[in-house]
Amino acid sequence: MAAPCRKMASRSYSQLLCCFSRTAVGSGACRRFSVTPIDRATPRASTAADRATSPWSLMAAVCLQRLPVITADCSPIEQRFKQMLQQMELEKSMLSDHELRLMEDAERMSRRQADDYDSDEDLGDQEIMMTQDLEDTWEQRLKNFQPAPRVRADVDEDLTSVQRCLTDSLVLLAEQQVGAEKLWLLPQAAWQEGETLRRTAERALDSMTAAGVRATFLGNAPCGVYKYKLPKAARTESSVGVKVFFFKAILVDGTPGSAPTAPLLWLKKSELQKYLKPAYMMNVGRFILNL
Amino acid sequence: MSSAVSRFIGGVLSRQAAASRLLLGECNPAVQSPCFFPVATLKTSAPLRAEPKKKKKVDPRREQMMRERLKKKLKKLERVPPELIPIEDFITPTKCLDETRERIPPTVSFEESESRALLLKEWSRYKQKQHMAEVEAIELALEAQREALEELKMESEELYRAALKPDPLLLPFTHEGPAYTPPIPNYDAPDGKYNDITKVYTQ
Repeated sequence: MAAPCRKMASRSYSQLLCCFSRTAVGSGACRRFSVTPIDRATPRASTAADRATSPWSLMAAVCLQRLPVITADCSPIEQRFKQMLQQMELEKSMLSDHELRLMEDAERMSRRQADDYDSDEDLGDQEIMMTQDLEDTWEQRLKNFQPAPRVRADVDEDLTSVQRCLTDSLVLLAEQQVGAEKLWLLPQAAWQEGETLRRTAERALDSMTAAGVRATFLGNAPCGVYKYKLPKAARTESSVGVKVFFFKAILVDGTPGSAPTAPLLWLKKSELQKYLKPAYMMNVGRFILNL
Repeated sequence: MSSAVSRFIGGVLSRQAAASRLLLGECNPAVQSPCFFPVATLKTSAPLRAEPKKKKKVDPRREQMMRERLKKKLKKLERVPPELIPIEDFITPTKCLDETRERIPPTVSFEESESRALLLKEWSRYKQKQHMAEVEAIELALEAQREALEELKMESEELYRAALKPDPLLLPFTHEGPAYTPPIPNYDAPDGKYNDITKVYTQ
């Protein structure tokens, strides 16, 4: 209520000033008159008044994402296209050094197998390494290296592990007490006087997770808001509802040092629906990108 | 030895100045010096007089002229624009133009070429759908952020201003992209040795 009144007052003041300036100038060309709204004159004094009169209590939540660690498998059409491209590139290319060597070796072998073979033609030092042997040594070295497995079914089942589903991006959910019931939400905390909302979100993250978790917050601006009104029984004069501002963060270090304080889940976007309330899910799903 | 030399010099200088008599007086005039040379036969020449040679006035000017000419030549050389550094990617290496390397082009059957054309069209449709989905997702996210900032502004100006401030610690932001296999925990990578043969050009 207070805000629109102030705006109207400032507008009328500016109109007055405009009329004044027009009469002062007379019939000459009208000057450019910059109007400074009254809003800017008293911002500091009004914030405290703002907060006191606003019926919404503020909370900040953090949307912590663990980005994909390995590349996703190709879909069928991607597979086919990949194969086709590889074939086309092979057809258009020229012979490489390795292939030329293979061809020369094959020719030499066939010459040796021929009946009229003259061993003087061959130079002694070309016998060092046949190209086929080279290829075999390379294959052997590749077999000796054991990479980590891409998919581990048992880890994928464990919803609390950060290492699950390495091809997708995961979001952190925490079970929190809201009012009378326990709900699964993005970790949130109530805003306190004297701190920015981003600081509140950082506090929420620190309180919910263990100490070893490091995250980079992407900027000072919130990425989404969810406002809900308290049930009629809990509503009072000063608190009608709650506005929750979400902040995006990216997980940097995935190894938690100690056990988390609250039950946590790492979920893909498709699995979020089972745990979040529908209205909340619709709101939150807008800024959680599955890219 | 030195007395004989001084007597000799004395004999030479006697014709020149009276002051030289003093030198003669030092030596014994009564003694018949064996080094008495007939003074008339000695000729005095410029080196014997031991005076420094006077420089001709033309020399410094000539040297200055030479220096100026050299400087002009140097300036002409410097005015040439520096040689451009060749972009090695744009120069086709001669290996690629070698004819012996040409592959025998395999014949592509009609069905094969048809299927390739159809696959290309399918791919373009797939990619377009993907792109539209991405664009839509980004627009939704932007809309959500705009709403959040509006709500925040309605709540408190100060928090709104704090939210609009840029974060200096965020950039430069780096993130390792996805690889084919996950990292092996506690893996000790072997040292890779390599010889860097990139050509460095200086202008």
